[in-house]
Amino acid sequence: MKRSMLVMVFVLLAVSASAEEKRYQVPLGDSPTLGPPDAAVTLVEFLDFQ
Amino acid sequence: MAAGPTVKKIMDTYQGKIRLVIKNYPYQYRDYSHIAAEASLAARDQGKYWEMHDLLLKRSPKLDRESLIGYAKELGLDTKKFAASIDGKKHAQEIERDKKLATDMDLYNTPTIFINGRKVVGERPFEYFKKIIDEELKNDKKY
Repeated sequence: MKRSMLVMVFVLLAVSASAEEKRYQVPLGDSPTLGPPDAAVTLVEFLDFQ
Repeated sequence: MAAGPTVKKIMDTYQGKIRLVIKNYPYQYRDYSHIAAEASLAARDQGKYWEMHDLLLKRSPKLDRESLIGYAKELGLDTKKFAASIDGKKHAQEIERDKKLATDMDLYNTPTIFINGRKVVGERPFEYFKKIIDEELKNDKKY
């Protein structure tokens, strides 16, 4: 039991270390949108047409 | 600038699994950046945002007023309404809101893309995006 707890903690640490890349919160508002609203991946593009 | 063909390829490749959201970040010192953003939103009012978006990317940098009205005609829009919209800067507030968001987030380049919040600055090859998107899909239990 103790051993499995220790393994759990180790796994959690490893996961958090590999996922430390910063994630920004971009408010979507009512901006133009293409694709399903419940899609697993949302890609927000800041663009200039020129 | 925008990641036109690359984003198009991403949307085709991951159809149904990915959602694209556009924010306008027109550069202050380019002649047609603002009017082109207005044109895209004027087309949106007539239900043709994505058609105009694609056309603008294809024809850029030919984005002067007369050209834009020509594109509206090409897409079968009501050109009178369209011209009134871009001339009256009808969507200035919406565009300024996007610009404020961009400057608040310290963005200095277009295109800047966020994939589930992960930032990618400037143009990158498709494979670069693919790697990130595949990671995101793998982390999502639905797929």
